[in-house]
Amino acid sequence: MKKLVGCLLVVVMVSSMGLMAFAEDIELRIAWWGSQNRHDRTIKVIEMFMKEHPNIKISYEPSGWNDHWTKMSTQAAGGNLPDIMQQDYARVEEWVEKGMLHPLDELVESGVLDFSNVSEGNLSGGMVNGKLYAVNIGTNSECWLLDVDAFEKAGVALPPQDWTLDDFEKIALEIHEKSGIWGMGDGIDNEQRWKSNYLSSGTWAYSDDGKALGYTDNQLHIDYINMLLRLQEAGAIPSRADEVAEFDGQGVEAKAIVSGKAAMDYMWSNQIVAVWNAAGEDRNIVMVHPPRTKGGTAANYVKPGQFLSVTAHSKHPKEAAMFIDYFTNSVEANKVLLAERGVPISSVVAEGLKPLLTASQLEMFDYMARVEQDSSPLPPPDPIKHAEVIDNVYWPEFMDPILYGQMSVEDGIARFRELASEILAED
Amino acid sequence: MKGSSSQDVIGKTVEPSRKRKRHYRHDNLAGYAFLSPWLIGFVLFVFLPIAASFFLAFTKYDILRAPRWVGLANFEKMFTRDLRYWRSVKVTFFYVFTAIPLRLVFALICAMLLNTKRRMVSVYRALYYAPSVVGTSVAVAVMWREVFGKEGLVNYILAGFGIAGPIWLGDPNTAIWTLIVLAAWQFGSPMLIFLAGLKQIPPELYESASIDGADRWRKFLHVTLPMLTSVILFNMVMQMISGFLIFAQAFIVSNGTGAPMDSLLVYALYLYRQAFVTFKMGYSSAMAWVLLLVIAFFTAIVFKSSQYWVFYESEGGE
Repeated sequence: MKKLVGCLLVVVMVSSMGLMAFAEDIELRIAWWGSQNRHDRTIKVIEMFMKEHPNIKISYEPSGWNDHWTKMSTQAAGGNLPDIMQQDYARVEEWVEKGMLHPLDELVESGVLDFSNVSEGNLSGGMVNGKLYAVNIGTNSECWLLDVDAFEKAGVALPPQDWTLDDFEKIALEIHEKSGIWGMGDGIDNEQRWKSNYLSSGTWAYSDDGKALGYTDNQLHIDYINMLLRLQEAGAIPSRADEVAEFDGQGVEAKAIVSGKAAMDYMWSNQIVAVWNAAGEDRNIVMVHPPRTKGGTAANYVKPGQFLSVTAHSKHPKEAAMFIDYFTNSVEANKVLLAERGVPISSVVAEGLKPLLTASQLEMFDYMARVEQDSSPLPPPDPIKHAEVIDNVYWPEFMDPILYGQMSVEDGIARFRELASEILAED
Repeated sequence: MKGSSSQDVIGKTVEPSRKRKRHYRHDNLAGYAFLSPWLIGFVLFVFLPIAASFFLAFTKYDILRAPRWVGLANFEKMFTRDLRYWRSVKVTFFYVFTAIPLRLVFALICAMLLNTKRRMVSVYRALYYAPSVVGTSVAVAVMWREVFGKEGLVNYILAGFGIAGPIWLGDPNTAIWTLIVLAAWQFGSPMLIFLAGLKQIPPELYESASIDGADRWRKFLHVTLPMLTSVILFNMVMQMISGFLIFAQAFIVSNGTGAPMDSLLVYALYLYRQAFVTFKMGYSSAMAWVLLLVIAFFTAIVFKSSQYWVFYESEGGE
């Protein structure tokens, strides 16, 4: 027994001496969400950073969107968040309030984070109460993709940038009549469209304090849904059954425009890279603004797509910030990332990337430049109850029954308002 | 003299029993030591989390903030104000009382077909058991989505007969049947257990039935089934419990949403969404405990009824 204890003591002492030798190295952990494409690119950038800074070791934990938040919440509760985490506009405020993010202003002042080539507007999305907590790593915006060849075949002219929902309906029906394919792909019945339509008409889906709906006029919404029903009936867009069976949760590579089943499609601008890749380099695709309400402003806005934040549990905030700075400002790193998360915020980087861009990425960069000139202001982030409203009310009690023909639009709207308001008002 | 001899005697009687006590304690200690890895694992990873979830069922807890005691509010909301909850209960009950009987029926039929001594029987046994091996795997569920897709295998075959197949996974009326078919397809485990039960039926009973002039159907009704009742009870209970707990297949076939229109929103899936999409840990813990009670209730009913219809050979029967 004594011998055993003696041996154990020796082993412990030796290993602790070994550990002390490695204490010079700084170990960081980083977590992000995305598809395999993004994982591969990000890991390469991490390796490039580690080469430049041999004393910093970064281990990474990528995952999908849902898993990322489950993991992060669990680690937050357990007190072991990674040093750097990818953040989302809708959640930054919540995480700041719970004290999980490290404020970055002093790191900006001390020059660790260099934003001399970044416009103020691109940083404002990551600010809470005037303090910077999250660095925008890619801007994007909602967009409509148009298949130019399909339009030509149907003999329909491409719409202008400021087209309205009525224009859209006409075009979708015409293409379907002339070519038999869907005029439009899936997804335009989601909650983002609901919010964007109200943004286009000058209001917002939620009130300022997030405790109630932000609009009183349901007519806009009723008209939009009636349009969806008309299009569904005519077969110009996929039915809800089609959407659930073929498109929901299948990733952007499964979108109808990729296989030529639809002449138009709806997505976020950074997703065009994966879509064009899957559709084939020889396709002719352009990006336009989403259709707006009659007499309204643009239905889309410059959205900070994702952020990188330093968490409150990090023991090396300075080194973590160094990585974020590298991510933002290094042209070499961004040549690998190739704007897969959206247009980089540093103007130097954006210029440096231009010669390398493929057709899809050029289209995205040009589109974002157009959007910056013609867009609605960045709306406030969604209230905390937003996930519950969408999950428990928007789909099962409202959109699904209406689109499956089991509830009238007016009943659905009244029900939606009632249930959503109840959830938003509770604590 | 007497005193010293009695002292000797006392000394002698005390010594061995003390040795015996030390021996027993030493045995016990060794027993616990060998048990300890499992015991520690059980306490830390099973018992404590279950106890914690019982506590959490009476709180509001979203992981990022500390739990807040709310008493019976979760249960009250669940039973009175949550429509999706009752929908998930309905879906789960429909699934359990359709898929499980189907699965057991197929298992019994197959077991009877395989209860022969032909040459290739062991190959067939393995083949029929194979679907259950890949059972609740993600890969099979993903494949199932493709099989029942709009242009998937099933619709392809139906088109060969000139029938335009429905959009199985998009229509709220047909989606649940894809799950039920998946469950019925994986009848391997109960089938093997039925097979074992069939092999235990003494052939003399069949012989005497033949002598009494019974045909195949009567032999089945009056010899096979009664002798199998204990196996049927076992399979029924086990399959019913696992039926109530179904999650993975519903999650993958519906892409985690329970779509279309909540027709695939089984209880465990709704529980998962409450916990990990809307971060209501307290509410989902309450749901978990209600599920436990419901399963316990139905299991108790089955067991209670079993005294009326199960024949145990060991008890001599009636």
